[in-house]
Amino acid sequence: MPLITLDRLTFTYPQGKAPALREVTASVEAGEVILVRGASGSGKSTLLRCLNGLVPHHSGGHFAGRVIACGLDTRRHPPRELGAQVGFVFQHPEAQFILEDVESELAFGLENLGLPRPLMRKRIEEVLDQVGINELRARRIGSLSGGERQRVAIAAALAMHPQALALDEPTSQLDPQAAEDVLQVVLRLVLELGMTTLIAEHRVERIAPLADRVWTLHEGAVAQAAPRDALSAGGARPPIVDLALKAGWDPVPISLAQARPMAASLRARLPAAPSNGAVREPGAAIAEISGVTFSYEGRRALAGASLRLGRGELTVLMGRNGAGKSTVLKLLAGILRPQRGRVQVGGQVGYVPQDADTLLFKATVREELTGRQASSGLEPWLDRYPRDLSVGERQRVAIAAAGAGCELLLLDEPTRGLDPGAKRELGLELRRRAGAGTAVLVATHDVEWAAGIADRVALMAEGEVYADGPPGRVLSDSLVFSTQVNKLLGNGWLLVDELPIGPA
Amino acid sequence: MEAANAMSFSPLAWIAWALAALAVALTARNPFSQALLLLIVANTWLGPSRRTAFPVRMAVILGLLPVALSLAGSRFGAHPLFSLPSSIPLIGGRWTLEAALFGATAGVALSLTVSILVLVQARVSTADVLALLPRPLYGVGSALALALAFVPQTAATVKGIVEVRGPAGGSRGWRAAPSLLMPVLLTTLERSLQYAESLDARGFAGRRRTRYRPSRWQPVDTIALAAAAVAIAGLALSPPPAYDPYSRLVPELPAFASLASLLALAIPALLETWVSRHAPDHA
Repeated sequence: MPLITLDRLTFTYPQGKAPALREVTASVEAGEVILVRGASGSGKSTLLRCLNGLVPHHSGGHFAGRVIACGLDTRRHPPRELGAQVGFVFQHPEAQFILEDVESELAFGLENLGLPRPLMRKRIEEVLDQVGINELRARRIGSLSGGERQRVAIAAALAMHPQALALDEPTSQLDPQAAEDVLQVVLRLVLELGMTTLIAEHRVERIAPLADRVWTLHEGAVAQAAPRDALSAGGARPPIVDLALKAGWDPVPISLAQARPMAASLRARLPAAPSNGAVREPGAAIAEISGVTFSYEGRRALAGASLRLGRGELTVLMGRNGAGKSTVLKLLAGILRPQRGRVQVGGQVGYVPQDADTLLFKATVREELTGRQASSGLEPWLDRYPRDLSVGERQRVAIAAAGAGCELLLLDEPTRGLDPGAKRELGLELRRRAGAGTAVLVATHDVEWAAGIADRVALMAEGEVYADGPPGRVLSDSLVFSTQVNKLLGNGWLLVDELPIGPA
Repeated sequence: MEAANAMSFSPLAWIAWALAALAVALTARNPFSQALLLLIVANTWLGPSRRTAFPVRMAVILGLLPVALSLAGSRFGAHPLFSLPSSIPLIGGRWTLEAALFGATAGVALSLTVSILVLVQARVSTADVLALLPRPLYGVGSALALALAFVPQTAATVKGIVEVRGPAGGSRGWRAAPSLLMPVLLTTLERSLQYAESLDARGFAGRRRTRYRPSRWQPVDTIALAAAAVAIAGLALSPPPAYDPYSRLVPELPAFASLASLLALAIPALLETWVSRHAPDHA
């Protein structure tokens, strides 16, 4: 008997014009790993929220069909009863914590179950080891990084000994290393505990090799397939699959490990290094920071950072969390002032922060854009409430609102939570702006996206820029800031599109 | 850095202390009593178990706002500070010392109220509040937990929105306050909904809760509770004389019993300091 059954599930949000989920019939056996993918707004989060009753108990709306999770009908059992059976990890690490320190947070669910204290202690010690966060146990939640918070959230859900775990894009807000840490935890749960796991994820390359099945959502309908078939068919998929399809590899590998034996012959067919075409001449400088030092209440963020930005140039700033990327952007935007060193900006600045929602509070998109030059592609949403738009759509409205007429556009982590299609659109928009002479500086952790759009990549660590140059040089042969293609082929090859190959 | 070896009062003792201090802050407008309470609250905040930075700027702004409003709005009083042409609507005329003092007592009361709430929020965790509530009041517990999380979350929201408003061409400083209201309200509401979902998804209010770290009632808690009771009794039996700067500029000195009962509120801070100085590893 399946652990979870979805039977002709159709759900429409209050005031929703179309169902978010349509006639979804599927089941999950104990121990299975399901990768849930689909574009933003396709219904992934709604589907996962149906499993622990947040939909419809918190959302309201019209719910038809039924969901049986661990023997409980979610229409009759509220989330507080289903929570012990289906652990849930939310997309935003900051949204899910109730208490102030890690150990109390882990105990919270157990206290709600009414467990005796010795049993709580035992479970907490076990889960600290399982998730590898023992060193965090006494820390205050506010002092944790995004990756640490997500691991604590997973541990808090696991401590309740659920039969299944639902993770709603748990890495979408994290840098590559933090995302890797979180996915390692998921990997351990799956391999060592056989935990039944449903995970919605845009970065499918890490999860796909573990998945038993892939559920692909499109406009609320679910298509189920084996990972290789689903990824070969289209949608969000690892670059390695694109490479395999282009090279005609059969069977299609879905992980680097599977691809390595096939890559040797391809490497032999490739030129020694990609021809990067004419090296782009840097435009006239519009902004420059030199030797800038900045500290937040005694914590050093920048230590003599220097960077020059040219007109018409799209520069990507990368580095691990806390490297100083956001501080550079805030200095250029005039939000912060340098404590030492010099910041010079010679034009109007547009700044889009990590959370683009902080720019959008008007009743309609049209009002948000009042007095600004109309931006193409936004016409269908002009009369909509900005916060009702998808993450990618909101990002585009925020860029149009903050970046209208600016000569220097600054974007902090603009691809957080975006699906591949929205990222592609965003990349095209930024390239268009750079082509029109705007200097664009983007802080991002998204290596694949950066490699595809950047004229220049600057890497930061410990408050300094330590590498700066064309993507082919800076992103090549790096262990962390490198693309899947480069990890497989090396020699400066970054993207599938630049490989001069066809089927063998 | 948290003080690892600081003495810890029971949450109930802190809540009793806060209620007594709030009662004094909200009812006593005598400047001598207010000054004494201000010293006690500051001393309690600076005690060895303080955990976060005090929002001094917010307290000062809250204290000065009524002064400005009273000065601008009142034309009464025998001690003019300066005059503006009476042709200026609303604020034209004499600005008086009496109006400033009247506003100051209101400002200190407001500042004290917020300071006491911030202090208790720093000393009593959300877990403590939830644990104190009987099951029928779990709904109230959710509201209280939300309220405790509200102040820091709202401060972070305001900071984030103000930061991006400047480059986006928005106004800054006090002029920006009206335009911040709706964004802050929207963001706070969204976060509250997420918080409520998280509470429910993790089984809150499902059954009778147990406690991972039960708080033990100690003799010092009884002393703190008694001190709060003394302060309340003093306020009821020997209230400090009222202060109205418009009728008499110099305030009356409260009775000894009134000040002594108020001093009882200093006992938790004194006990904390004494214990931290005499703890074995502090010698």
